[in-house]
Amino acid sequence: MGLLAREIEAQGVTTVGLALVKEVAIAANAPRFLYLHWPFGHALGEPGNIAQQRTVLHDMLSMAAHAPRPGLVIELPYRWRRETYPAVQDWTTPSQAVVSGLSL
Amino acid sequence: MNTLNQQIDPIEHGTLGQAASGDEDPVRTHTGRLKEFFGRRFSNSAVLFGVIPIGTSLGRWISKIIALPQLRKLATGEVPWSPLRKPVSESTVVLLSTGGVHLRSDRPFNLNSDPTFRVIPKDALQTDLAISHQAYDKTDALRDINLVFPIERLRELEVERVIGRLAEEHYGFGLMGSAKHLMPAIKEVARRIRKSGADLALLVPA
Repeated sequence: MGLLAREIEAQGVTTVGLALVKEVAIAANAPRFLYLHWPFGHALGEPGNIAQQRTVLHDMLSMAAHAPRPGLVIELPYRWRRETYPAVQDWTTPSQAVVSGLSL
Repeated sequence: MNTLNQQIDPIEHGTLGQAASGDEDPVRTHTGRLKEFFGRRFSNSAVLFGVIPIGTSLGRWISKIIALPQLRKLATGEVPWSPLRKPVSESTVVLLSTGGVHLRSDRPFNLNSDPTFRVIPKDALQTDLAISHQAYDKTDALRDINLVFPIERLRELEVERVIGRLAEEHYGFGLMGSAKHLMPAIKEVARRIRKSGADLALLVPA
């Protein structure tokens, strides 16, 4: 999937990928990746958990707009099945998870 | 068992299997009981004590063994960089998934190795979709396709004007061990996305 992101970005289109294996995300040398320590088949979270899915999409859109340099892999802080996800209040404000990831 | 039965398990259509799949759900291309068992073992969503994912460490290890040497060869040189040129709220967004998602009416992916892609229209419903991929536990994704292909969530964001527009065409890939053999399809999809005028591509793994 990293190779796919690289080719799309090389065509002039911004890309953001989710990754479930950290080492693979890093080795992919892709423009922007968000890493989640969640099980395969669950990149957006748990079935029916719309708030959780929207949180991950907010993180992806924030990464698209605010990643300052190529090749960043940011680890999102969400623990599997141990988080509550408040509704995203303002989609124009970058997500805290991505902002604090960028400042590391 | 004839070919058709092998491709689409009738149980998964919801005639019998309410637990895994109702009429509203996408269908699963049947991978055989043994492979489903291993899929659950190795990339499982089941948890110990309610919190620790079982089997994911082995699944991660397997994908590292397969992916890392290939990436070291193919993902070299400078990282491409095309920052977003307009606000997200004015951007056209395209969705890609490597979770084996395709239209139910389309040809299923070969389950263990497929170097092709499928086009999925923006208005595809859960009932229009199927998953053909043998390397992860699809139980939850069949209940909610958004876990591997968040098209419903993106349609909502389009209505809410969080994103500018959803592209007409989205793309599904299946399981493919050889990245080299997948490159022609990758390059074609990248060209199609550029021609479509999309500004932002979101990529979701299996």
